[in-house]
Amino acid sequence: MIKHHPQLSLLKTYCAGELPASISVIIAAHIELCPHCQQQVEALTAKAAKDTFTYAYVEDEAEQSEFAEIDFASMIDDITLDDGIDEIKVAQPIELSLNQNTFYLPQVLRNLELSSWASLGKLSRSRVTLEDASLHTSLLHIDADGSVPEHTHNGFEITLLLEGSFKDEMGEYTKGDFIWLDGKHTHNPITEHGCLCLTVSSDSLHFTQGLSKLLNPIGKFIY
Amino acid sequence: MISTTTNNYRSSMKQNASLDGQEIDSKTLSGWLNDIAEKRDKRAFASIFKWFSPKIIGFGRKQFNNPALASELLQETMTNVWRKAHLYNSEKGAATTWVYTVMRNISFDMLRKMQANHEDTLSDDIWPLAEAQNSDEHVFADHLMDKQIAQYLNQLPDNQKQIVQGVYFQDLSQEQLAKNLNIPLGTVKSRLRLALTKLRQHIGADND
Repeated sequence: MIKHHPQLSLLKTYCAGELPASISVIIAAHIELCPHCQQQVEALTAKAAKDTFTYAYVEDEAEQSEFAEIDFASMIDDITLDDGIDEIKVAQPIELSLNQNTFYLPQVLRNLELSSWASLGKLSRSRVTLEDASLHTSLLHIDADGSVPEHTHNGFEITLLLEGSFKDEMGEYTKGDFIWLDGKHTHNPITEHGCLCLTVSSDSLHFTQGLSKLLNPIGKFIY
Repeated sequence: MISTTTNNYRSSMKQNASLDGQEIDSKTLSGWLNDIAEKRDKRAFASIFKWFSPKIIGFGRKQFNNPALASELLQETMTNVWRKAHLYNSEKGAATTWVYTVMRNISFDMLRKMQANHEDTLSDDIWPLAEAQNSDEHVFADHLMDKQIAQYLNQLPDNQKQIVQGVYFQDLSQEQLAKNLNIPLGTVKSRLRLALTKLRQHIGADND
């Protein structure tokens, strides 16, 4: 049962197409797993469409004259000259084999490349090739009984749990949970049976406790 | 009593105003989209174009603050409407919602291209224009059917899939189907023709 969802205001911005690509991708991945948010998004999109097509029209005279200059008839002729249609590809499961496990990745990743996996102890990471300014998108796998030492986030970090489970001071998370954390949160995620996450981070992690401060290079690794 | 009447009157006024003076209901809009999909109907396309273009230009102006880019958004959106109308499913939503999705996707890719010169077209993966897979699998449960053909079938718009299923899996005649679905026989025939053409394209393409 998914307990953690993107906030309604975030979903609204998502529907308007106003979020950075990497955040849009991780929300789309959550929606694939979450019928509840799927319904929300359908309703929000219908509303956005209604608002846009009800109130957006050419207003002042200057705009109207510009509008009149567009040659609509020839645009229509150009477009309809070609009778072809665009087919969509059948969705094929995207398999990922890692440490003798097979995972299935969200469809939204189907055209994005993954970098090769880098490992550090029980953590493995692969970058999702999605250039988006300072935002990094990664797949992060933690082996059974693995953990990330207590840390906070310099910027924000969004985690979508794709498979398995983990827990931290704030609770236990299951497949499909969408967790947005920032500098206000400090946590120490632990997984008993292992987990695979999709993450978007705006900055490196910052380890906060004693010796684990020595781990701050890991923070960069995860970012 | 009086106040209720006034409210109704007001809301109907508002409704008319919202359609920009043109009394076009959502049924007409989705009918046009279906005509584009099924008959490649250029007049229906011209009507859709006429209704949406001022609104798309208005949206584009706000989005890009540049008339040339607004015009590009219109051109690209309408090209996709023409080429992808078969992905629209009137049972799943209003025509305005679908056209909005097409426009928002193009606008997203255009903005991404402007900001960082990315040539990718991520938007259709983030917001799919049609469900590539679907929920009607139980219909096939009793039939031994080539999995691949099932996948191709699932790719068809629901209204075409319905016809193929009726004719080939439930052994209904085209007349019966027309009656059951309460649509003209001609529509059954044209949907079936369109569906079979598409299926043949897929199967042919994979056997090359």
